Amino acid sequence: MSDAGNAKLKSIILQGVHEENKRLLEKGYGGVRAARRWRRNRFAVRISSLLLLTGLLVLTRFIVFPALYNGDDSIAPVEQAASGPILPWATVVMQSANNARLKWTPVDINPRELLNYSLLLNDEQVRVSSVLGLDVQTIVIDPGHGGKDPGAIGSLGTNEKDIVLDIGLQLRDALTRSGRYNVVMTRERDVFISLADRVRVANANRTDLFISLHVNAIPQKEYNVTETFYFGPPTDKYTLRLAEQENRGSEIQAGDFKNMIKKISDTMKEQESALLAASIQQSLFSNMKKHDSTVSDNGIKIAPFVVLLGVDAPSVLVEISCITKRDEEANLKKSEYRKQITSFIKEGVTSYLGQRHLQIVEGEHNGRKNNKESS
Amino acid sequence: MAGKTTKKAAKKTLLVGIDLGTSRSSISADNDKKEWVESYVGWPKDFIARKVVGKPILFGAEAVSHRLSLDMYRPLKNGVIKEGTARDEEAVKELIRHLITLVDEDTENTRIRAVVGVPAESFKVNKVALKKAVAEFAESLLVVSEPFAVAYGVEALDNAMVIDLGAGTVDFCIMHGTVPSEDDQRTVLTAGDYIDQQLYNFLQERYPEADFNINMVRRFKEEYSFVGEVEKPIEVEIPVEGKATKHDITEEIKRACESILPAIVETTLELIAKFDPEYQDAIRQNIILAGGGCLIRGLADHIETVLGEYGPAKVQLVEDPLFSGSNGALALAREMPDEYWTELK
Repeated sequence: MSDAGNAKLKSIILQGVHEENKRLLEKGYGGVRAARRWRRNRFAVRISSLLLLTGLLVLTRFIVFPALYNGDDSIAPVEQAASGPILPWATVVMQSANNARLKWTPVDINPRELLNYSLLLNDEQVRVSSVLGLDVQTIVIDPGHGGKDPGAIGSLGTNEKDIVLDIGLQLRDALTRSGRYNVVMTRERDVFISLADRVRVANANRTDLFISLHVNAIPQKEYNVTETFYFGPPTDKYTLRLAEQENRGSEIQAGDFKNMIKKISDTMKEQESALLAASIQQSLFSNMKKHDSTVSDNGIKIAPFVVLLGVDAPSVLVEISCITKRDEEANLKKSEYRKQITSFIKEGVTSYLGQRHLQIVEGEHNGRKNNKESS
Repeated sequence: MAGKTTKKAAKKTLLVGIDLGTSRSSISADNDKKEWVESYVGWPKDFIARKVVGKPILFGAEAVSHRLSLDMYRPLKNGVIKEGTARDEEAVKELIRHLITLVDEDTENTRIRAVVGVPAESFKVNKVALKKAVAEFAESLLVVSEPFAVAYGVEALDNAMVIDLGAGTVDFCIMHGTVPSEDDQRTVLTAGDYIDQQLYNFLQERYPEADFNINMVRRFKEEYSFVGEVEKPIEVEIPVEGKATKHDITEEIKRACESILPAIVETTLELIAKFDPEYQDAIRQNIILAGGGCLIRGLADHIETVLGEYGPAKVQLVEDPLFSGSNGALALAREMPDEYWTELK
C-alpha cells in the first residue's frame, strides 16, 4: 500500500477510535452505573424474549395441542418417539403432553407488559449481541453425592457418586476444550460436599449455567429412564420423594431457604432452566435410544431440589439413567459408555447455547432494520 | 486563575501506551522508556503483614513472592474485571498508577495522555470502568482492544488477523481498514493458564512422587513450550523427597501446549469464513501472532500448515511479543491528532 493510502487508512482508524471512545462518554455511561443499567437491560431483554417464548407456549397449549392435556396422572415412564430436531419450547410442550407427570403451568402474560418489553429490544443502548448469548462464560458442573454419600448403589456395587464424577470431569474437559467457557467443578474427587457448599461454589463463581449430574434409582428395576429437572414445586409424589432423597443433608438453614424461595419469582431463571433442561433431555434421550431401545423418556420435569433453587443462574439436574436396571449399571461401569453419555450431555448444552446465538443474530437483524427505518 | 493556567501549561506531556494483560502488563512511553510487570496486585492482609512486607501495596513478582502475607488480586483474570467487586477495580487502578510511575518519576508535573489496550472481552464489558480507573492519573485516555493495538503497531491495518495469545485469553481480531467491531473479534479462554494447568495435571499423573507447584510448571512452560516435534528430549530437575531429580517432560509439554490448538484453529477458521469471501485468501496470508503464547515453538508453523489446507496461508510473529501491545498503543497515542484527545476531568 502507498504511503498516502496508508496515511488515509490510519486517519480513518484514528477517527474511529476517537468517536468510539467519545460516544461512550457522551451517552453518560459511567462505571458501575453503566454496568447496572446494562444488567437491567439484559434482564429486561431476557424477560421479554422469554415472555415471547412463554406466549408461544400458551398459544401452542391451547391452540395447537388442546387435546393432549388430559390430566392423566400415571407414574409409569412413557416413551416418546424422537423424530428430528425439536425446538426447545416445542419440546417442553411435547414432553408435558406425553408425560402427564409434568404439569406445565404456563405463566400468565399481561399483553401490555409484553408490548412494553418488546420495545426494549429496539433500544439501541441494549447490547443485544452481548446480552443474549455471548455472556455465558462460566459453567458449573456439579457431580452429585461424593465421599460418605455414595448416592444410589446398583446391584453390581456401582456407586452413583463415581459414575457422575467421571462423566462430570469428562464434560468439563469437553466444554473447556472449546475455549469458550470457564468450567468450574463443585467437586473433582471423591469428597462429600454439602448442597449448601455446591450452591456457594456456583454463586461465588458467578456461574451462568449450573448442571447437576445424577443417576437415578427407581423401584421398577426393569425400567431405564432418563429425565431432566429444573426447580419448581413438586408435581407428584414421585418427584417429591426424589427431591427429598437428593436434598438430604443439604445444610441449608431455614432463614437461607426463605431468601432462596424468593428466587422462585425469577422468571428469567425458570424459563432459561426449562430451555436448557429441554435441550439436554432431547439430546440425551434421542442418543441413548440408539444404544438402548428400551430406555424411556420421562421428559423435563419440575421438582424442588434446593441445589437448583439456591444457584442464581439457570440450573438443571440431570438424572442420566437408572442404575437400578442391571444392564444399564453394567453399561455405566464401562468408560466408553460414560464417554458417550458425556458427549450426549455436551451436545445438549451446546445446542442450548447455539439457540441463544440464533436469537442474537435475529435480534441484531431486527435492530438494524429498525434503525434504518427510523433514520 | 491565570497562575493555575500557567502552571498547567508548564507541565510536560507524556504519551504512554499501556497493555493491560491478564498475566503481564506493559507500558511504553514516548520518553523511550518501557517496562512490564506481572499483573498481580497485593495488599498486606493485616498490620503485621504490612510490617513484614514494608509497603502498603505490592505489584508483580514482588507481590507473588510475598503472596502468603497479601490479599492477592489478578484483576483481569479470565479477561474481564469482575463487575461490582470493588477490590478488583481498585487493583486495576493501582496497577495503572504503578505502570505510569515506572516510566515517569515526576507524575505531578506531567500531563499523561494514555492509550490503554485491554483484553477483547474486557474492552466490551469494562471499558467505562477502565476509564474511571485511569482518570486519576491521566489527563486524557483512549481504550482499545489489545489485538487491535497490536495490529496498529505493526501496521496490519487491512485484510489482516491478529491472534494475541495471553495467559487468560487468546484474542482474535480481524482488521479491514477500520476500527474492528465486536463481530470482528473473538476471545477463547484456553490460553497460557490453561496450558499450565494441563501440564501440572499431566506431570502429576506421570510423576506422582515429584514435588512441584504451578509456578514451577509455568517456568517449565515458558522455557520449553513447543508444538509438533523437538530434536532433543526436555529434561528438568524436580525434587523427589527433597532431592533434585531429572525428569523427562517432553511428552507432557507437547500435550499441554497442543491442547489449546483446536480452539485457536477453529476460531481462526470461523472468523475468516465469516469475512467477505473475496478477501479471505488475503487474510489467511496475513496472520500475526502476538503475546507471550506466540513464543511456543512450532506454533506459527502448525497454524500455517492447518490453514494451508484451506488455501495459501502465512503466519508471522511480532518482533517483541512482550511489548507489542503497549508499543501499538503508543503508536496510536503518537499519531492521534490533538483534537481527538478529550480531557477526562
